[in-house]
Amino acid sequence: MSILAISFVGVTTAVLSLSLRRYNAEISIAVAVVGSIIIFLSVILNLSSVYETVSSILRASSVNSAYIAILLKSVGICFLTEFASDCCFDAGQRALANNIAIAGKVLVLVTAMPLYKDVLDTVLSLTGNSV
Amino acid sequence: MIFKIAAIGIIVAVLNQLLIRSGREEQAMLTTLAGLIVVLSLLMTQISSLFTTIKNLFGL
Repeated sequence: MSILAISFVGVTTAVLSLSLRRYNAEISIAVAVVGSIIIFLSVILNLSSVYETVSSILRASSVNSAYIAILLKSVGICFLTEFASDCCFDAGQRALANNIAIAGKVLVLVTAMPLYKDVLDTVLSLTGNSV
Repeated sequence: MIFKIAAIGIIVAVLNQLLIRSGREEQAMLTTLAGLIVVLSLLMTQISSLFTTIKNLFGL
């Protein structure tokens, strides 16, 4: 989808959601969520070519392929968390939105933990110690 | 999809007003609930497609 279509969908969704809010607040939130999902889905399919390029670059620099998987997983967690948190924020549930954001941060940290361990191992092997 | 959900919302709001004016408040409430369920089922298909896309793309 081109940027023109995306902007059109965004503005239309905003106007529809605003005009529905007075009569039906739940459905107005549903309209906003579906609009954001449509925009997100139309854009995210372009990301696979970026993935191909990034993974070929990393493969050429002989980086462990597990690192690429961890990187991608973290990016996916960030996207999902941001989406869910913003939806909750739009619905007026700030506590829920903040909790989802915290959960996303923790899960990214847990996902990236093997990387920290590798860095620590490298540092220890450089200093001549072993765990 | 956006227009479909917005149209459901407008129809439900109009029906709600009509039923309340004619004194059938329980039916108005049930109509609102039915509209909400229909919209939520539409929303669920969209969200599941989003989740499967992200799952396939990022290998979660």
